[in-house]
Amino acid sequence: MIFEDDETLQMYIEESLDHLSNIENDLLLIEEAGADINEELVNNVFRAAHSIKGGAGFMGLSNIKELSHKIENVLGLVRSREIVPTPETINTLLRAFDTLKDMIQDIEHSNEMDTSEHIVALIGLTAASLPDDEKESLSGTLNISIKGKKNLLKAPQFDIDHAKKEGMTIYLVEYDLIHDIHRKKKTPLDVISSLINSGKMIQSKIDIEAVGTLNQDIPSRIPFYILFASVIEREIVIALFDVEEKYVHIVTPEMCSPEGEEAFQENTFIEKPLEMPDISEPAFAELPPVSLNDSNGYLPKTAPISIPDIIKEDSKEALTAISKQTATQTSLRVSVDLLDDLMTLAGELVLSRNQLLQGITLRDKRTLEIAGQRIDMVTSELQEAIMKTRMQSISNVFNKFPRVVRDLARDLGKEISLFIEGKDVELDKTIIEAINDPLTHLIRNAVDHGIESPSVRHNLGKDPTGIIKLKAFHEAGQVNIEITDDGKGIDGNQLVTSALKKNLITDQEANLLSEKEKIALIFLPGFSTANQVTDISGRGVGMDVVKTNLDKLGGIVDIESAVNKGTVIRIKLPLTLAIIPSQIISVGNERYAIPQVNLNELLRIPAIQVKKRIEKVGNAEVVRLRGNLLPLLNLSKVLEIEKIYIDPSNKEEAPDRRENIADRRSQYSPSTDEHESDTLNEKEFIQRKTAERRKNINSAINIAVVSAGPFKYGLIVNHLRDSEEIVVKPLGRHLKGCQGYAGATIMGDGKVALILDVAGLAQMAKLASSEKLDSVNKAQEDSDQAKQDKGDKTALLIFRNGEDEQCAVPLAMVERIERIKVANIENLGGKKVIQYRGGSLPLFSLDQVADVKPLPESSQLEVIVFTLAGREVGLMVTPPVDAMDVAVNLDKSTLKQTGIMGSTIIGNHTTLMIDMYELVRSINPEWFEGKPNILKPSAGKPMVLFAEDSDFFRNQVKGFLEDDGYGVIEAEDGQVAWNLLEQNADSVDIIVTDLEMPNMDGFELAAKVKADHRFAHLKIIALTSLADDDDINKGARVGIVDYQIKLDREKLIEAVKIHLGK
Amino acid sequence: MQGNIVEGEKKKVLELATFFIGDALCGIDILNIQEINRNMESTWVPQAPDYVIGVLNLRGRIVTVVDLGKKLGLSPIQKNKDCRNIIIDSKDEHIGFMVDRISDVMLAESDKIEPAPANIGGLQGSFFKGVFKTETSLIGVLDIEEVLKDK
Repeated sequence: MIFEDDETLQMYIEESLDHLSNIENDLLLIEEAGADINEELVNNVFRAAHSIKGGAGFMGLSNIKELSHKIENVLGLVRSREIVPTPETINTLLRAFDTLKDMIQDIEHSNEMDTSEHIVALIGLTAASLPDDEKESLSGTLNISIKGKKNLLKAPQFDIDHAKKEGMTIYLVEYDLIHDIHRKKKTPLDVISSLINSGKMIQSKIDIEAVGTLNQDIPSRIPFYILFASVIEREIVIALFDVEEKYVHIVTPEMCSPEGEEAFQENTFIEKPLEMPDISEPAFAELPPVSLNDSNGYLPKTAPISIPDIIKEDSKEALTAISKQTATQTSLRVSVDLLDDLMTLAGELVLSRNQLLQGITLRDKRTLEIAGQRIDMVTSELQEAIMKTRMQSISNVFNKFPRVVRDLARDLGKEISLFIEGKDVELDKTIIEAINDPLTHLIRNAVDHGIESPSVRHNLGKDPTGIIKLKAFHEAGQVNIEITDDGKGIDGNQLVTSALKKNLITDQEANLLSEKEKIALIFLPGFSTANQVTDISGRGVGMDVVKTNLDKLGGIVDIESAVNKGTVIRIKLPLTLAIIPSQIISVGNERYAIPQVNLNELLRIPAIQVKKRIEKVGNAEVVRLRGNLLPLLNLSKVLEIEKIYIDPSNKEEAPDRRENIADRRSQYSPSTDEHESDTLNEKEFIQRKTAERRKNINSAINIAVVSAGPFKYGLIVNHLRDSEEIVVKPLGRHLKGCQGYAGATIMGDGKVALILDVAGLAQMAKLASSEKLDSVNKAQEDSDQAKQDKGDKTALLIFRNGEDEQCAVPLAMVERIERIKVANIENLGGKKVIQYRGGSLPLFSLDQVADVKPLPESSQLEVIVFTLAGREVGLMVTPPVDAMDVAVNLDKSTLKQTGIMGSTIIGNHTTLMIDMYELVRSINPEWFEGKPNILKPSAGKPMVLFAEDSDFFRNQVKGFLEDDGYGVIEAEDGQVAWNLLEQNADSVDIIVTDLEMPNMDGFELAAKVKADHRFAHLKIIALTSLADDDDINKGARVGIVDYQIKLDREKLIEAVKIHLGK
Repeated sequence: MQGNIVEGEKKKVLELATFFIGDALCGIDILNIQEINRNMESTWVPQAPDYVIGVLNLRGRIVTVVDLGKKLGLSPIQKNKDCRNIIIDSKDEHIGFMVDRISDVMLAESDKIEPAPANIGGLQGSFFKGVFKTETSLIGVLDIEEVLKDK
């Protein structure tokens, strides 16, 4: 009877896979909760195992039934709190479910698969929780008999005992496949699922012998016996299952007999345990729990099974199994609503077609126009609706990662939490399938190479538990996926060294790389960074494969990483592959499509500006675009359209003589015998000629500015045409060797147009000059930068006060950033506070003191927390909040006001630099009272010699110090400071110096001061933007006593005070 | 499936669609042929191998059109009113063979197809499955997969 009913089987498979799809995460949650069991979750998993078992019994899938049954037993014990779901237990369950899934996916061979190992492990779990005397019941089997039919069913004693213990009554329900199921238009699966909803199905059997042979009369009944445990009363069971009363028996102990005694009893049926159900033999198809029948050996009563051993052996296999589980789905669930929509649209399409045909017959232009419009509309709607049917939630891919991370982390002895966001983001089915592998690779990388081991993390002062975040979201018509870890990050320099060693880049190239480009080296083919090849992610192939795979999808990968802070990998993917918006361009006669994803902008350089804006650097043409040099590629040259003229009449190649374009092509006229193609050629020829003529040396130049990843260039084309939605079609295998194309599409006139692969074109043209250009660009940027900042960079926290006012504070002053609900803000005594960590945090906003816009109303605000005057205060701001290293060039006059120290330009925005100290002081002056003036009465002002090269910092710090009653002698660098010190030998009391300075740096100054007996007694405090250990050690050697962070006013003052006092 | 049964039952009688490339008569098992048309409006593909004439739209599918003459190392197909595009179905892909002129469909018992000599009139022998002799002519039976091999 096995596989008799394809449809039912298919339904069963789909349903089972559906059940299984969410189990992994549920199990992981159960594991997390540990002894504190969430019944809802356990029930979910239990029900899944149960329904799978139920169906398997009916289908004759004995192996599946048995395994799911054992799983169910364990889960039942978990539910009744007899087993604590330890990681080991969950591991066993997970692996059992994996096998179950494999079996269901390969259902035809499921009965041949070996599940004994799981069964032993699962029984081991069950056994461990039972008192000794009950252990026997695990392997024991009871024969159940009813009047007239002995040994009707076999059932595991354990189940019966267990059900009874839970207060259930055991029923033996006799269904009739003919009357009760077939005639009532039910399916056996309906029956089973209704049973499962109301109780527990222990065993089931179809009595095939009752069908008889063909010689006999048609049987009236095909009994289907179900052993069923439930708390429901008999009457209700009868009503519920809609069977006659006499067919529902309550199983009493008398009806059961242990299996061992069976030999002495009369056998009414020919029993044949079906390990491999044989269809040809219309015998007795019973589906007993196979493995336990024939041996008690599975569970040696004396020797406890050591489960961890089994697990250890298998964990590697499990890992490889995960990577193999990428079977593509061939069927898809679509909501009926959507299908209805499609049907309606199809109907409309038919109507429009009729209208169109009518219009054609009547030659009525008006009708045709209307029909055309309707078809246009219906088609776009139809396209959208069909696209929707292909959309799947990204959770299909994401859901397996908790398991992957958990297993890997366990294997590697790491502690990792995975956070997933944006599971409901939808993507085209093909993309979902295609990103599975790259994402898995990236996640594994993050676990294996990213997150450090707990001890390393501890030493670095990080939380021993690493964090990996996986986030998907929509942005600008694309799907973005971000994988963030807080691990050790990628060391760009190490990559460079490694790339040099492998001869992937040259020394010269290496010197020109920016930080970002260094990290991007990881994408080079043949690059594997792991020092040690592990079996998890360092398999010689690496990120380059990820990148190629994503490139194929039209996706973009981007890595950002900071050593010891972590790595962010951003992936941008198109929503769908099949239909993409694109820009049509043309060169000569040929039309090409550029995907909009790659297109940044279109540029037209008028004839008179061509000379001015297009320059030559080396051999390459470049165009000046908003201060940047953009390399140019001439499409016709790259594709060699210009150089070779293909005669359309015979496809013969001839050198193009464009220079003499005014001449008639003489080879053309004689071909008079080819009438048919002639007319066509004539047209084409003229078209070509005019097209080429128009592209005179003096005419305007059209440029499509395109980008492939971080690389950007201008593509010179003859004409920019429409922007169209195109259907992407693959090119044949003979054209796979052409780098320049991503595919082909069919245009409105039925002709084929090629889709350009922007990255491929750049490679083809070997934009060799691009590096040179980059260096030109870089040099230019560098000089710009140098002009801009004479000092070093400062880490600033950048945020907004309202929509368009960008503000910044030094990051060093910030304690942390919190997101608060506006509703939680309390207004007390004219001041705003929020309950926070057991105290109240006073809140300020910029508009309280400065003339800026009030904060826009929203339900959530970011609060930047500072410590000022010994207490924490919060500044309310509008997101986004972002940290950035910026060279500050402070303009202290234009926008200076209370609470704002001035302005600077960050990322093309004028940014207000907030003076938090002043801001808070002007509102709560009493907090600062009595502090600064302590020093004043004492004899003379203490003099501080302050060396700092950046005007901004010098002025700021000088301001602080003077405010607090110190005298300040300022110096632009160490040399000046030294000179000043010599001049003012007596008056200087303390030295505060920046470390990075031209002419003489802080260390040198300190060494010189300490070496001179006149000044050796002076304390030296160093100011830095970021003090690392090396600096501190180096400083200590030359006599620097303290380090303070620039602009942390209070701490600096405090330090000066302390060191002066000593 | 059906093809196999037919082949099996009828003791392997091949139907060969025959055509000319220059003066050479070649044949292809008709079961490999999707259709024969005179669709000449192909789009030129710059940078493609020289034997590729271009790509054309065959009812929504992109078909690579190959100049069979060039591919076989003979003279290029002369485009005129006789030349045809034989659309081959190979490995889930449609490929067009541009030929100079098509001829008849011939029945050929497979055991009468003789192994191809190493070189047939200057052609590379490996492109042929064999040679079929009729009363009047010799037909080179093309091995399509060999011809279509992209190096």
